[in-house]
Amino acid sequence: MEHSRPQWTGARVARVEDARLLSGRARYLDDLPLPGCLEVAFVRSPHAHARIRRIDPRLALAMPGVVAIWTFSDCPVRLLQSGVYPVGQPALADGEVRYVGEPVVAVFAADRYLAEDAAEAVEVDYEPLPAYVDLAAIVEHPDWAVHPPVDNRYVHREYATEGFDQAFAQAPHHLRVRFRTRRQTAVTLEPRGAAAVFDPASERLTFYASTQSPHRMRGDLAKFLGLPDHRVRVVVPEVGGGFGMKANTYPEDILVAWAALKLGRPVRWVSDRMESLLADAHARDDIHDVEVAFDGEGRIWAVADHLMADGGAYPGYPFSGAVGETGLAAQVLTGPYQIPHLKTTIDCVFSHKTPLGAYRGVWGPIASFVQEGIVDRVARAVGKDPAEVRRLQLIDQFPYRNPAGLVYDPGSYRDSMELALKAIDYDRWRDEQRRGWREGRYLGIGISVFVEPSAMAASESGSIPYEAATLRMEPSGKVTASLGLGPTGQGHETTMAQLIADALGIAVEDVVVLHGDTDSAPLGGGTGGSRSATIGGGAALTAAERLGEKVRRVAAHLLEADFEDVVLAQGQAYVRGVPSRALPLAEVARIAYTDVARLGPELEPGLEVTARYRPPLPMTFSNGTHVAVVEVDIETGLVKVLRYAVVNDCGTLINPQIVEGQIVGGVAQGVGSAFLEELAYSEDGQLTTTTLLDYRLPEATDVPPVEIQHLTTPSASLGGMKGMGEGSLIAAPAALVGAVNDALAPLEVWFSEIPITPEAIVRAVRRRAEAPR
Amino acid sequence: MKPAPFVYHRPRTVEEAVALLGLPACKVLAGGQSLVPLMNFRLSRPRHLVDINWLPGLDGVEWDPDQGRLRLGALVRHQVLATHPLVRRHLPVLAEAAGHIGHWAIRSRGTLGGSLAHADPAAELPAAMVALGARFCLRSQSGERWVDAGEFFQGLFTTVLAEDELLTAVEVSVDQSARWGFYEIARRVGDFALAGAYARRRGGVIDLTWFGVGPKPFTVELQAGEAEAALEQVLQTAAEDVAARQWAKVAAMRALQRAGR
Amino acid sequence: MTEGANQKTTAEEAVEVALEVNGTVTKVLVPSRWLLSDVLRHRLGLTATHVGCEQGVCGACTVLIDGVPTRSCLLFAKAAEGLAITTLEGVLDDPALQALQEAFHRHHALQCGFCTPGMLLTALAMVRQQVPAEPETIREYLSGNLCRCTGYQYIVEAVAEVLQAVDRGDPAGSPALP
Repeated sequence: MEHSRPQWTGARVARVEDARLLSGRARYLDDLPLPGCLEVAFVRSPHAHARIRRIDPRLALAMPGVVAIWTFSDCPVRLLQSGVYPVGQPALADGEVRYVGEPVVAVFAADRYLAEDAAEAVEVDYEPLPAYVDLAAIVEHPDWAVHPPVDNRYVHREYATEGFDQAFAQAPHHLRVRFRTRRQTAVTLEPRGAAAVFDPASERLTFYASTQSPHRMRGDLAKFLGLPDHRVRVVVPEVGGGFGMKANTYPEDILVAWAALKLGRPVRWVSDRMESLLADAHARDDIHDVEVAFDGEGRIWAVADHLMADGGAYPGYPFSGAVGETGLAAQVLTGPYQIPHLKTTIDCVFSHKTPLGAYRGVWGPIASFVQEGIVDRVARAVGKDPAEVRRLQLIDQFPYRNPAGLVYDPGSYRDSMELALKAIDYDRWRDEQRRGWREGRYLGIGISVFVEPSAMAASESGSIPYEAATLRMEPSGKVTASLGLGPTGQGHETTMAQLIADALGIAVEDVVVLHGDTDSAPLGGGTGGSRSATIGGGAALTAAERLGEKVRRVAAHLLEADFEDVVLAQGQAYVRGVPSRALPLAEVARIAYTDVARLGPELEPGLEVTARYRPPLPMTFSNGTHVAVVEVDIETGLVKVLRYAVVNDCGTLINPQIVEGQIVGGVAQGVGSAFLEELAYSEDGQLTTTTLLDYRLPEATDVPPVEIQHLTTPSASLGGMKGMGEGSLIAAPAALVGAVNDALAPLEVWFSEIPITPEAIVRAVRRRAEAPR
Repeated sequence: MKPAPFVYHRPRTVEEAVALLGLPACKVLAGGQSLVPLMNFRLSRPRHLVDINWLPGLDGVEWDPDQGRLRLGALVRHQVLATHPLVRRHLPVLAEAAGHIGHWAIRSRGTLGGSLAHADPAAELPAAMVALGARFCLRSQSGERWVDAGEFFQGLFTTVLAEDELLTAVEVSVDQSARWGFYEIARRVGDFALAGAYARRRGGVIDLTWFGVGPKPFTVELQAGEAEAALEQVLQTAAEDVAARQWAKVAAMRALQRAGR
Repeated sequence: MTEGANQKTTAEEAVEVALEVNGTVTKVLVPSRWLLSDVLRHRLGLTATHVGCEQGVCGACTVLIDGVPTRSCLLFAKAAEGLAITTLEGVLDDPALQALQEAFHRHHALQCGFCTPGMLLTALAMVRQQVPAEPETIREYLSGNLCRCTGYQYIVEAVAEVLQAVDRGDPAGSPALP
């Protein structure tokens, strides 16, 4: 099929989503008018671990506006992924609570004020039990069990390359580091929530979900509610951010749906911020005990890593963040470096803390933090410039099989680093740094060369290795597209329209992209794991090509031309080389639907296709380099980011402006990860950071301007796109931490734990100052 | 996160307001920027809320040139404090400090009196008042009394304000000979301070007043020249750990630097 | 204003609240404890005002009170009687707001859009106060409005562009959205 030059793909098309969002007309979950709707408030566990002796709802039931009060027996569902995990979280605590914030009782009332009044009045008698909170201690105590008799170490895996021991032993130098990432969470600005309405006419449940995976949610609801899936419709309204956290199905979802069925009224629950910090999926609670073998040049021969993750009290449903974080971190631990030998041991354990799920990048930010930390440590050990040590071992032959067995498709690892160093003016900053050190000013430069496995056949949001698109050219010649994606701000209505418009030779405004409604969209995996542009885009392209083919067949018949000679461009079908022999698509489409006598017997009326796309490779790897320049105030421990440069390679860019938006947003989250954000638990398992004053998100004043350049090494997928939604958060914490460590090199201070707090810097600097020389 | 029920009162005179303060479990609502979050959490659950925002005459900023005194009403919003020409001219250090409170939207609603009555140890204004030697007018049904800022703050979120008293005004005598400096260490713009300090230099005498260090603001007088060494000693007892001591010291040294020579 | 069937069993006394919203005084019957954000959204149907934390931190619920950015989650509706409340719905015809919308659109200053109404109202107040168009100043003014998607950069650029236009004395009323 002949294409005219792409007009839309690659262009900075301003988003079609914006108009409704900028005028306050978008409808998020809590904006939907649902007359007669009951609101839910949960009684949540105040204990990390306790036995429930008694629940007495009588007082609460008598309170104004209260319709029902439920305990586990009213909704006896466990979110168990059987065959994968040994336990599943009950929809409401079943006799025992295992983390602070676990839902215990659900109160349904006329409004949220009244529901909260009644929730306070529910009497729950707890018998507190010992809580296991500290990951390192839990790993060391196999006898501690959150779900006896289930083995508390619910995932254990070991892996080593052949010849690891020998290579490791023979290396001239070795070092050990423990890397620690503290608990963090996505904090979407729109809190999580769900609403459900039963329609007696169709005997169907409509479930409004603030989710990334509409079809998966439908499947989960059908399974747990015992309904056939055609009796469940999931509708995703506007979603105010997801970042992986909204990829799970949560106990509250099941409760809301079940209640709408049993109580016969619409039911809605919208999380408040305290609940969201307590009960949204947490992430990043990991320890990596690393041993590195290297030579005097700084070449790394072998890496051994014991990866530990605190999965919380239950595996998140349908996947455990702990397993996602460690499992893939173990496979990309050598990042973009040619490190021949790898040995990994993974332990995922239960604790009395909130379940771990996904947060943008999942394993990536942790693996990058470890891998870049290793390289920086080695550079310091051999007394070389960190950029120099990277040059020694960056991969440059493709496809590249890493020591964990992953095969990287072509990328621009070396070029991206050199370009990023040039963009930041690396040598000048090194001079500046030396001058600063003499004057008591601590400047640091951090380099993070990242690899971003994306568009995985099975990612956290979709267990299916394809996406699907239904395209319909309407009688007017305009196109309605429907995809099973679950965008949460990424602009799919624009980017998918760009791809479709080019394939059909029409304008972006002639395409409407629908998503998030299981009634209109073909079954899809949803959005997550940076799969939408690559796999969803592939589906849109495939469907558009097939639709284009249908259109061309009809046009060929009407124009009495050869199918092969018919070209679609500028809203017309015309015969190649004879622009005067043309039909507007509106005319072709009108005939295809309403004047079908003119189609002849062999052409099917209508212009509609559904196509599914499976990418040729199990995943595709984006890459790039971040370079950060920071200044550390060693007296206060505060860090200021002075400059930040990104070189990003995600293959074909559908819309550079949207890609850049993803990058800057990820860098901001990286600032939070590196310096600000921590879900802190007390020793007895109380979460002490339950407000946004304590769980600190980056503000406008915390985030540097980001300078961005693109390289494009296309993937083998249709269109050449690679996923890129996570790369910037994957790379940023490592660059920022590296910069702080670099700044403090003369003080021989080194951080391998994030977030790096001002307190940690002050303490480390003072300890150093007070140490005997 | 919805507040528990309460009865709302909107008195139109100070007399009416202080009369209402006799109601059981009564709270004064000024700007509400600290109180309402606590009520949303149900950590504070007054049965009666007395909204003083509509009381006349409580939002004034007045300069008395004869006495060299600035009088500030309890309802002066932080943003007004930060930008008012009279405050900027006569007490620029106070205007600067007020600009560090929360964010714009918080400053636009939060009030001077509310901040003082709340007595958060990490807040800017209580310490400012102690540093400036301000005195507060407390009104009740039995009349009014004036209390020095240094005596007003008793400890963590605790003041001498009685349950039936309303803080209505603040007076600060301006010492034209003093030079002032202010410095605050905070993790983000608008965060409560890790430590903050006001420095006042009068000839060879330095007064340092801290916030975010210990349960209430406090002042230490030092001789110029001995500042750094003396500080270490002073702060040994004031701040519990190494980082907190360090922040207190750095805030003080930087405030002092800003006070000039 | 519609009352849901869900009001019947309320024992707590509802009081009459007369709110001046977007230039019009509307009376609603709600308990005194209802937050302004909830009354705007659930009683007046003005859902451009978003609720992100009810802790006074995130800024998604920002409205203008007498022209100044204020958290509507930290104000009881009853206490807002007598104040002039402006939500995004009330300024859609304002040329300065339209200039901001247009700049946000062109600069890609929004992704999920949840913080956007609050951002726009804060930015509108900045334009009206003629805040200097320096990036550092803009960041400072916007620091009370959290955004989790954009990393702020393009918001700052969009606001700077409109502030510069105001500086130059350009009529702040370029055509609105497509």
